[in-house]
Amino acid sequence: MTNLLLIPLLSYLPADTIANQTHAIDEVVVVSGRTEGRKRSIKGQVASIDEHIGELSHVNLVRRGSYAWEPVVNNMATERVSTTIDGMKIFYACTDKMDPVTSYVESGNLQSISLNSGLSGNPQSTGNIGGSLDLRLRKVGFDADRFSGNASAGYEANGHLQVYGADAAYSSDKFYINGGAFYRHADNYKEGGGREVDFSQFSKVNAFANLGTRLSENNIIEGTFIYDRASDVGYPALNMDVSKAEAFITSLSYKRLFQHPVLNSWETKVYYNHITHIMDDTTRPDVEIHMDMPGKSWTSGLYSLISASKGIHDIQFNYDLYYNRLFADMTMYPGGAAPMYMLTWPDVGTLNTGVALSDALSLPHSQTLKFTAKIAQQWQKLNSEEGYHALRVFFPGMKDSYYQTIGRVAASYQKAINHYTFNIGAGWGSRAPTVTEAYGYYLNNTFDQYDYIGNPRLKNESAIEVNGNIDWHPSTSFTLNLDANAFFFYNYIIGQFENRLSAMTVGAEGVKVYGNIDHATIVNTSLSAQWKVLPWLSWYGKASYAVGRDADKDPLPLISPFAYASSLDFTLWGKLQTRVEVKGNSRQVDYAPKYGETETAAYTIVNLNAQYTLSVRKSSLSLRAGVENLFDHRYSTYSDWCNIPQKGRNVYVNVSVGL
Amino acid sequence: MEKVLLFNEVSILNASIEKIVRLIVGLFMFVATFGLVSCNSNDDENGTIEIDGIDLRADIDCCSAEEALQVYKFLQTVKIVPELSTTIDNKYNVFAYTKTGTFHKGYNDVYFVVTKKSTGNYVKNYEISNITPLMFMTKMNMSHSTPVGGVVSQLENLPLALKHGWVSYLMDSSENGSWTISYDISVLGSEGGIKSKDITVDALPQGQEWLKSFKIGSDTYYLSLVNPIDFATGTNEISAYISKKNTPATTPYSLAAETFTVEIDPRMPDMGNHTSPDNVKLTRQPDGSYKGIINLTMTGLWRIHLTVKDANGNVVGGGDDLKDGLSSLYWDVTL
Repeated sequence: MTNLLLIPLLSYLPADTIANQTHAIDEVVVVSGRTEGRKRSIKGQVASIDEHIGELSHVNLVRRGSYAWEPVVNNMATERVSTTIDGMKIFYACTDKMDPVTSYVESGNLQSISLNSGLSGNPQSTGNIGGSLDLRLRKVGFDADRFSGNASAGYEANGHLQVYGADAAYSSDKFYINGGAFYRHADNYKEGGGREVDFSQFSKVNAFANLGTRLSENNIIEGTFIYDRASDVGYPALNMDVSKAEAFITSLSYKRLFQHPVLNSWETKVYYNHITHIMDDTTRPDVEIHMDMPGKSWTSGLYSLISASKGIHDIQFNYDLYYNRLFADMTMYPGGAAPMYMLTWPDVGTLNTGVALSDALSLPHSQTLKFTAKIAQQWQKLNSEEGYHALRVFFPGMKDSYYQTIGRVAASYQKAINHYTFNIGAGWGSRAPTVTEAYGYYLNNTFDQYDYIGNPRLKNESAIEVNGNIDWHPSTSFTLNLDANAFFFYNYIIGQFENRLSAMTVGAEGVKVYGNIDHATIVNTSLSAQWKVLPWLSWYGKASYAVGRDADKDPLPLISPFAYASSLDFTLWGKLQTRVEVKGNSRQVDYAPKYGETETAAYTIVNLNAQYTLSVRKSSLSLRAGVENLFDHRYSTYSDWCNIPQKGRNVYVNVSVGL
Repeated sequence: MEKVLLFNEVSILNASIEKIVRLIVGLFMFVATFGLVSCNSNDDENGTIEIDGIDLRADIDCCSAEEALQVYKFLQTVKIVPELSTTIDNKYNVFAYTKTGTFHKGYNDVYFVVTKKSTGNYVKNYEISNITPLMFMTKMNMSHSTPVGGVVSQLENLPLALKHGWVSYLMDSSENGSWTISYDISVLGSEGGIKSKDITVDALPQGQEWLKSFKIGSDTYYLSLVNPIDFATGTNEISAYISKKNTPATTPYSLAAETFTVEIDPRMPDMGNHTSPDNVKLTRQPDGSYKGIINLTMTGLWRIHLTVKDANGNVVGGGDDLKDGLSSLYWDVTL
C-alpha cells in the first residue's frame, strides 16, 4: 500500500544531472582524525556527548543537572525529535526525562552525530517534526591500520570532573574489531560566585565493542555491543536523583555490497536494547514522602536499507519494524501507613512498522532536489490491567489498545549561482503522542510544578515546515549565511489545566492533562558569518532568534531568546590554536508564564581555549586547555530547568594520544 | 500480613470434602451421560442414572446437576465457619460460610447451604431467620446487638440452594466484651438452629474502618461499607447499608426505613488529601442497599469522607467540614 503511495510521487520528478546536497544535514565529529572543515567540540574527544551535540546548528540543550542533557532541535524537545543510534530505535526509561537516550552512549562509542533538521529525517526516524539525530557508531572498518589505539584523559577544576578513556582496534581485510572503555566522574560543581550546587555530581562507565567480518568480497556481518552505566547522578533541578541508569545496546547486521549498475548496498540490521533507570531520593534532606520510581524500556527491532543509484537518482529505500515496551511505577512510603502504589507508565507496548524512501536528484546547473517520505503504522497496547483501570478513572471510554498511522514527506531544492547558494524546502509530517502524553499517570513536572496526566484520546500532531537558506560567499575567506525555518502545527500537544482534578504530588500546583491545541507556530532564524581575516586569524559570529506561539498567540515555553556567539581563532607558531569566545543570550522577553515558565535574565560569558597537536608519523598527541566562564559570572540559560545556575569559572585540561 | 490472613481465598472444606469430591465426580459423569442420552434419544426424562451415593435427579428437594455444580464452585471461594454449622434432626447438615471462615469488625457476608446427611445432596428450600448477634459488655453488664441484613435469601444468579445474609459487627471481641450468635432454621418441616454460640470477631488491620455511625436526634444510624477489600485501583462500585439502632438494643438492627443519600469524598491523607474525580454519591436501591461509584487513583490509605443527607437534602450526618474542609464522618480503606 505504501509503495503505491510513494512511487507515483517520485515519478513526477524530472530526470537528469548531478550534485550532492548537504544543507539539511549537520554533523559533528566526535573522534579525532580527519576533521578539517567539520564541526567538533573544542574539548576534543573527552567532551561529553552533550557538549558534542551542542555544536550542531539548530540544537539547544535542556539541563537538569550536569549530566544527561536533553537535546532540543529547532526549539523542539524529545517528543518532536527522533534519536537513533546507527539507525536503531531506543527509548528513554525515565518518566521525568532524566535520561535522554543520548546519555546512554559515550564519546568513545561514536564517530559522529548527524542531525537532519526538520521533517527530512533519516530513514529510520519517526515522529521527527523538529529533526532527527543519528549517533553514528565508531567502527574501525576493514583495511584500516592493523593495530591502533587511543587514550585520553581530562580534568576540569570546577566539580573535579575526571575523564579517562582508552580504546584499541585491530583491522584486516577480513575482520575488524575495536573496543574500549570510558569513565567519567564529577563532584558537585560551583556556580558563578563560588557557591556549590548540591546534587550535581555524577559518575559513569561505558564499554563498547564493534566487530565485523567479511564473509566474501561483498558480504559483511557487523556486530555492536555497548554497555553504559551511570550511577549516583544528581539532578539539582529535580526532587530526585538517580542511583542507576543502565543500558545494554546490541545489534547484528548483514550488509551486502553490489557491483551493479543500480544497486549499491543492502543492509539489514536486527537490534535489541534495554534500559533500567532507578530514581533515588534517599540522599535528599527534608523528603516529604520517600518514593521508589523505577522505569524500564525494552526495544527490539530491525531495519533493512537498500541504496541504489541510477542516472541522476540516488535512492534509499528502508523498511523498519520495532517493538518497544515502557514500564514505570511509583511506590510511596508514608511513615507508618500502607505504601501507595501506581503505574506511571502502564507497561505500554508499541509496535511500529514503516517504509521510507528518499531520492536525491542531481540536476544540471548546480541544482539538487531531494525528496524524502515515510509512512508508518503503530499499535499500542496497555499491558497492565491496573494501569489501564487507573487511567479509565479519567477516561472512562478508553480502550486498552490504540492504532495510529503517521507519515512525513519533505522536499528541498538547492541551487548555486555565482557566489550564492540557495536552498528552499517544505514538508509535512505527523507524529503519534508519546507514551507520556497518551498514558502518563501523575507525572510531576518540576518546571511548572504540575502533575501531568496523559490523554489516550489525543489526536496525532502534525506540522507543515518551510525552510530557506542563503549562503553568500563572495570570496574563499568570507561566508555569510542566513537560515530560517517555520513550523505550523496542527493539534499541537501540550499540557492543559484541568482544574477539577486534584494534584497527587505534595506541593504541586495542580493537574494538567495533555491536550491538542488547534494550532501553534515555531519560527527559527539565524545569521552567521565566517571570515578568515589572515592566514592565522579567523572570526566567527552567529546570532539566532526564535519565536513560538500557541493558538492564542501566547508564547510557547522553552523557546530560545535572542542568542549570540562570536569567536576569534588564532593559530600561533603554526601549531598552537587558540580561541577567544564570547557568547550569551538576551533577556528572555518572550517567556511563557501561561505554561509556568519564568523569565531568564540576559548573560554574557567569555571562554578561552588553546590546543596543541603534535604528530609523529601515525601517532599524534593533542593537548587542550581552556577556561569556561572566565569572569565567573553567575547565570542560567532559558533551557536550564528551573533556572538552575550554570557552572562558574571552569579551568580544564585534557590530553589525547593516538597510536 | 493481616490482610493476607483475612482474605486468603484457598478454601478447605472439613468433613464434607470427601463427599463433595465424590459429588463432583458423579456430576461430571452425570453430565457426560446425560449429554449422550439426549443426543441419541431426545428423551431427557425418566432415564434412571445410578451414581454411587448420589442420585440427584431423583431428589426433588435439590437442584439440577448444573446448579449443584454452581453451588459447589461458589463454596470453593469461601470458608466454613464451624461455630455456625449445625445439624437438624440428624437428617440435615447446615453449613455457614464467610470469605475467611471468621468474622471481622464491620460488614461480613454470610452464606448458608443445607445438605442431606444421607446423600450429601443440597437442599434448596429452607428458611433461616432471627439471626441475632449479641455483644455482652463485661464492664457495663449490658448487651446489645448489631446491624444485620433482614432476610436471608437467594443470591442473584446463583441457585436457591445457596443463601446469603450479612452481619455488620459494631466492634471486635476483646476483654471489654464478647459476641454470641443465634439463628433459627427450618428445613422441609424440620426445625433447628443455634443458640448463643460464642464467636470471635476480629479487629480490622490498621487503616481499615468500615463501620461508622451518625445520630439524628436520639436515634443512632450505622453506615456499613460492603466489602471494600474488593476495591482496586480504578473505578469501583461502592455499596453500603444504613441500619438503625433498635429498642431494645438487644434486637438486631434492621435497615433504616428512611431514604438517605451519602455523598463521598475520597481522600489520601498521606498525600495532602489528594482526591479523585467523578465519584458518584450512594443512593438507595430497591433492595435497600446504597450504591454509588468510587474512583481510586492508586493503592494506599483512602479516607472516604461522608456527608449523609435525608430525603429533603438536609445534612443529617457528617458534612461538618473540619478545618481542612472535610467531613469528620469517614470510612478508611487501605488497598
